Amino acid sequence: MSAARKVLPAPARFDLGGGAVGLHEASHAVPLVSIAVAFRSGAGVEPADKSGLARIAMRMLRRGCEGMTAEQIDFRIDVLGAEMAVDTSSSTVAIHAQVIARNVEPFVELLVRLLTTPTFPEDELGRLKRETIAEIIEGRDSDRLVAQKAMQRTFFEGHPYSRNAGGTTRTVAAIGREDVRDFYRRRVVQGNVVVALSGDVTPEGAAEIARKLVAPLPAGAAVVDDMPEPTMRPGRRLLVVDKPERTQTQILVGAMGTSPHDADHVPLVVANAVFGGTFTSRLMREVRSKRGWSYGASARTAVDRHRQAWIMWTFPAATDAAPCLELMLSLMDAWVREGVTPRELAFIQRYLVRSHAFEIDTAAKRLHQALDVELLGLPADYYSGWTRHVQAVDAATANAAVKNRIRTEDLLAVVVGTASQVLEPLRGAMGTLAESSVIPFDAE
Amino acid sequence: MATRDPAAERRAWAAGVPGRGLTYERAHAFGAEKLHRWRLDNGLTVLLLVDTSAPVASYHTWFKVGSRHEKPGKTGLAHLFEHLMFNETETMKAGVFDRKLEENGAETNAATWVDWTYYYESLPSDRIKLAVKLEAERMSRLVLREPQVTSEKEVVANERRYRVEDDVEGTANELLYKAAFPEHPYGWPTIGWMQDIQGFTPEDCVAFYRTYYAPNNATVVVVGDIRERDLLLAIRDAYGPLPTQVVPPEDIVPDQPQLEIREHEIRKPTATEKLLLAFKGPALGDADHATLSVLSEVLFGGRAARLYRSLVVEQELAIDLRGWVSTFRDPGLFECWATAREGHTTREVQVVIDAALAGVRSDVVTEDELARAKARLELGLLQQLETIPGKAEQIGFYETVLGDPTHAFDRVEAYRRTTASDLRRVARRYLVDRARTIVRVLPEGPPAAEAAQ
Repeated sequence: MSAARKVLPAPARFDLGGGAVGLHEASHAVPLVSIAVAFRSGAGVEPADKSGLARIAMRMLRRGCEGMTAEQIDFRIDVLGAEMAVDTSSSTVAIHAQVIARNVEPFVELLVRLLTTPTFPEDELGRLKRETIAEIIEGRDSDRLVAQKAMQRTFFEGHPYSRNAGGTTRTVAAIGREDVRDFYRRRVVQGNVVVALSGDVTPEGAAEIARKLVAPLPAGAAVVDDMPEPTMRPGRRLLVVDKPERTQTQILVGAMGTSPHDADHVPLVVANAVFGGTFTSRLMREVRSKRGWSYGASARTAVDRHRQAWIMWTFPAATDAAPCLELMLSLMDAWVREGVTPRELAFIQRYLVRSHAFEIDTAAKRLHQALDVELLGLPADYYSGWTRHVQAVDAATANAAVKNRIRTEDLLAVVVGTASQVLEPLRGAMGTLAESSVIPFDAE
Repeated sequence: MATRDPAAERRAWAAGVPGRGLTYERAHAFGAEKLHRWRLDNGLTVLLLVDTSAPVASYHTWFKVGSRHEKPGKTGLAHLFEHLMFNETETMKAGVFDRKLEENGAETNAATWVDWTYYYESLPSDRIKLAVKLEAERMSRLVLREPQVTSEKEVVANERRYRVEDDVEGTANELLYKAAFPEHPYGWPTIGWMQDIQGFTPEDCVAFYRTYYAPNNATVVVVGDIRERDLLLAIRDAYGPLPTQVVPPEDIVPDQPQLEIREHEIRKPTATEKLLLAFKGPALGDADHATLSVLSEVLFGGRAARLYRSLVVEQELAIDLRGWVSTFRDPGLFECWATAREGHTTREVQVVIDAALAGVRSDVVTEDELARAKARLELGLLQQLETIPGKAEQIGFYETVLGDPTHAFDRVEAYRRTTASDLRRVARRYLVDRARTIVRVLPEGPPAAEAAQ
């Protein structure tokens, strides 16, 4: 079983002309082909009063093209044994598709048609907007989603990162057909696109498909990302999102993290894994294993083009919410003050290096990493050199990263729960508190 | 020239292994690959599939024990083990199990449902023997004492709050199964009733463990970049000494045929009404199961499905619509979940569903609808086989529930053979309006239609 040293293939990158880039990696494990048509700009550069536009515009692609209605498109996708979905973030928007290999040619023909001859029918736009608004309302049934949205909106207040890529009921309602057409005209251009293919397709076949998809698009440069680096308001703040009859709470605590271009980014990721990145991490051990307060507890540092938040999360019973928050903050404080031990660091490095096998065990995963590098402008060896970067971290750099980046005096705690039951105990658990507020769970 | 016979070679090798204890049974065609079935003398079944696409391997241990094996008053015990099994053993203190796996880069988790419980570790392939050692250890040497049981009961209670008490769909689903199966154990939730969870004792746990956690009640599935013989010897050495246990015969009380409509309403803090509607369906092993799955796909699968198109796209009465046929060993449910849009009621939604179900009972679906459903089901199967852990899960699931580890491929063949008249036949047989179970979730406050006026 020496195969762990096996050298896996890496995705090939190729020029498609006009600034467009292609990526490909073959895998014949199953007769499936995955296709991503991705754009280098997302919800972060759409107008604030029309947030959700990028997602709506891309979803409109399957709502009508020359010679085909939405119904005919939906049927055609299904009968070819294909799936097609839109993924939108602050920095990118992408169509992700997968198709049974024997049908890849007719599926690509359909995709070319959707990309090059969209008709954006007015009635279908109205239908999609109503559907999107109904989905936003349904999302309020998920306390976890409510907590995540409230954190994003409040933590990044005033910055484009504060906007949810799905929009709000108000901003989606404000989107008109001309907005969609304008979005499409500016974003769906050769210089803004990356096409990625993986699965049961040869390099020649992939290059031909990528060219078919890109060649008919108009020339144009990548959309400039002129977002400023986000900052956060000083002080410790508490936001309670009030929802009736909660037996449990969702607790998120956020502080400013790093950008992937920061020299201390990987050291922070490694130190965070000790704090809340695994089942035996400090956070999980104290909250779940020792006290049984929550089914799960974790902490993570998000990766994007600009600086992102560091967030820890858990979900204790309402009666345990205040002591649990107090514990989380004390663990965070100890982590920042004392750092991680050399023994903890050595353990987590072994974990991160060895488990990396599962980040790259399929062609689709390797291609997704290459796509991230391309779209987010990550350092070229961000993923390919990952195990080397992790091994290079020592206790001094890990602890300096935590101390310099994570500020316990400037943080935001968001708790979804029944305010009448949890607000006062939570205020007490926060220690020093610059501000606390309560909003209803359907606030946008 | 002699023809090479891999099966005979395996049998001969097993016969020559010092100390024996290992028998080669047969090969199964798993698509274009070969899955090999071995058995230890103590009854442990071992299924191995070599897949060298990545330097990883996935080790799954499936036990034929789920919530169906519990008794009233002790519901949730099978699921509690999903937690307890990561705790202390006779040779490892609490926390060591997880630390050893993490240190070696493993992904590990477990799941429990009505018919089964399974545990898995995915590891870099040169470390797969660690899973052999740890799984054999916890199959027979788990320590079940007060501090661990108390702590895990609290964790499970919190899991229940997350998945059921504070979750609208979780609450409705629990009520649906309780109403549909008043006698059969499928009527109680796998996570258990809250009062039962809080009442477990270490003695309950020891009795359950000594009954069901045994080599003769388990199947080990390994898929990945493995050396088959090397791994088999490791498995034989680790599990061979474990004793066989007497697993008692099941004591299932089947429900009487349902002859009436059972209807329930609950109120929750949600903006819209939800509907769960279910008919008694076939067991997974029944030939009708695949046929009914195709019908479910025709009606509910994707935007172009007949009912989705009607309710969500055209009439805009609902925002979410899903259908599912229970994949249980005994007959389960054909169920439908719908979320009405604001200002609309589940009564309006149900009128459309009823009409569509009447339609598939009276007329055959079109060939286009049939082709669409079959293509989607084929895509779904291929997606499940994309990864090494995905393959191991399919093998373990079908082996445990049906005794047929490659049944996934038979299902695809069954989908291909299905005709429009088959769909009408199963619609007439199972979708009987006068014998169904309905759960409605209503928002707290005035009815939606009234509020919209």
